[in-house]
Amino acid sequence: MSEATDSGAEAEGTVGGANRETHTWQDSLLAVRNLDAGYGDLQILTDVDLDVQDGEYVTIVGPNGAGKSTVMKSVFGLTSHMGGTIEFDGEDITDTQPEEIIYEGLGYVPQNDNIFTTLSVQENLEMGAYILDEVPQDAIEEVYNRFPILRERQGQKAGTMSGGQRQMLAMGRALMLDPDLLLLDEPSAGLAPDLVDDMFDRIDGINDDGTAVLMVEQNAKEALGRCDRGYVLVDGKNRYEDTGDALLADEQVRQDFLGG
Amino acid sequence: MGVSGTYDRGRELFVEDPIRAVIIVVAVVLVLDGVRQLAVGATQFSELGVMLKDGLMRGLFFGLAGIGLSMTYSILNFANFSHGDLITGGAFGGMIATYVIAGGFGSEGDIGSLMLLGSGATAIALALVIDRLVYKPIRDRSGITLLITSIGVAFTLRYLILFVFDGSRRGVTQSGAIPTVDIPAIDGTVSLNLHELSLVVVAVGLMAGLHFLLQRTKLGKAMRAMSDNEDLARITGIPTERIVTYTWIIGAGLAGVAGYMFVIWNGTLHWFQGWILLLPIFAAVILGGIGSIYGAILGGLVIGLTMSISIMWLPSGLTRAAAFFIMIVVLLVRPQGIFAGRATA
Repeated sequence: MSEATDSGAEAEGTVGGANRETHTWQDSLLAVRNLDAGYGDLQILTDVDLDVQDGEYVTIVGPNGAGKSTVMKSVFGLTSHMGGTIEFDGEDITDTQPEEIIYEGLGYVPQNDNIFTTLSVQENLEMGAYILDEVPQDAIEEVYNRFPILRERQGQKAGTMSGGQRQMLAMGRALMLDPDLLLLDEPSAGLAPDLVDDMFDRIDGINDDGTAVLMVEQNAKEALGRCDRGYVLVDGKNRYEDTGDALLADEQVRQDFLGG
Repeated sequence: MGVSGTYDRGRELFVEDPIRAVIIVVAVVLVLDGVRQLAVGATQFSELGVMLKDGLMRGLFFGLAGIGLSMTYSILNFANFSHGDLITGGAFGGMIATYVIAGGFGSEGDIGSLMLLGSGATAIALALVIDRLVYKPIRDRSGITLLITSIGVAFTLRYLILFVFDGSRRGVTQSGAIPTVDIPAIDGTVSLNLHELSLVVVAVGLMAGLHFLLQRTKLGKAMRAMSDNEDLARITGIPTERIVTYTWIIGAGLAGVAGYMFVIWNGTLHWFQGWILLLPIFAAVILGGIGSIYGAILGGLVIGLTMSISIMWLPSGLTRAAAFFIMIVVLLVRPQGIFAGRATA
């Protein structure tokens, strides 16, 4: 965290901010290095670097089609890997199968289809802890305390819930194993405007409890205002990297990506 | 008010949904005609009882066999045309088990349950070997590729069965020796023999067991999760290949047992039996909502009862056509099938 702040100060010092070689991180929780990845033969990401420190709150913003979600899918082994490495907690997870990643302490909430719609709320949470022998009742209890509406709906089929409730269930499912890092792909997408702030508050709460968060977000101003650090991705490449506040203050970033 | 209200609603239905309205009218006419036939004695109550019983047997068989078809569709994402030949394979496996056991212990032994295990085990072994050799290498291909492959598998299996056990139609039971009870109906009796009773007990028992598995156990919930959303299941840590293996074990096991139950109920066994049965099973599964096991059971009962009861109005050669006609009618009203999108597994 302190390191992140330092980098922000540095970047603010250089006029125009934005330079992708601002910082080389060490001992990162998540370290993506020179990642090339895509789908089939189609390459989306070129030479992407990205770090998340323990307990940090990092946001990826950028225009549509920049490859933001692809970064997350790559971390979970859901893309074709074409070069570079991904390390988590000092361990190389580049070639780890999607169903094995969860054992490392990562949770992932995809943008779409992020709940089992035909299963009940309770069953969705149970699936979140599938890799444990016993269903951890205390973890379910913790999720219900964090999202009380889920307790009321525990027997309901997940597919019959509203967008905001589904998003809470998806996060609850990903939190069942108390991951060290939570990946959130556009958590505010499709939510009614009055629910967006509430969702961001809840994410702040998850981060305050010690879980590092890596978030992709369309709602760039709000996200950058809340996170510790942000990356701007353009055409599958790193463009800018700095503290959230510094990126928000940067003239170039504001003009190009935040609509002035 | 009441009469004109009903009249208005009726007219509204005809204008807005003529297909549904016509179906309702035809159904009402058929029911009234059924009552008339019973009243004037054109059909006896005992005859109707026999039809209902036969329809129930057939329906339970279609349902039991259809569960596996529906499961492979929802979890492996393809329509498995070799499912019928797994049924035949299971039936022949049960027959071999009968010979071996009867040879070893004499025909006096209580061998029914062992034969059942033999038929299930044969179908499971076939399915697992075929999956490893054929389907696993092409797991990521489209449903069409897998479907066409499964037709090839079906032919291979069928002609292997023909090669091993010639093409004769075998009688498998001494029908005279089966214990039978007569259940009194109003103007006669409906006989129920031990084979029919065991079909009911086995089918209902297995369906109840499967329901328990899917709703209460971790494996069952994981199967439902995978059929719901495979990508999400993977990132949740559900070992998808192991779930696929269990899907084959359960689906093929039920198909094999169903094949065996059909043979002892029907009394004959031949090499393309499963292939012929596959079409009405498909009809049952599609009617119920492909992918849902509860739909497969319900669809099986609808198809089975239709095939039996249609004799009240149609020549017996048209029973199969009647079953498919019912399927088309249901799909006109509910294109996704009765249970679509609900309680899948």
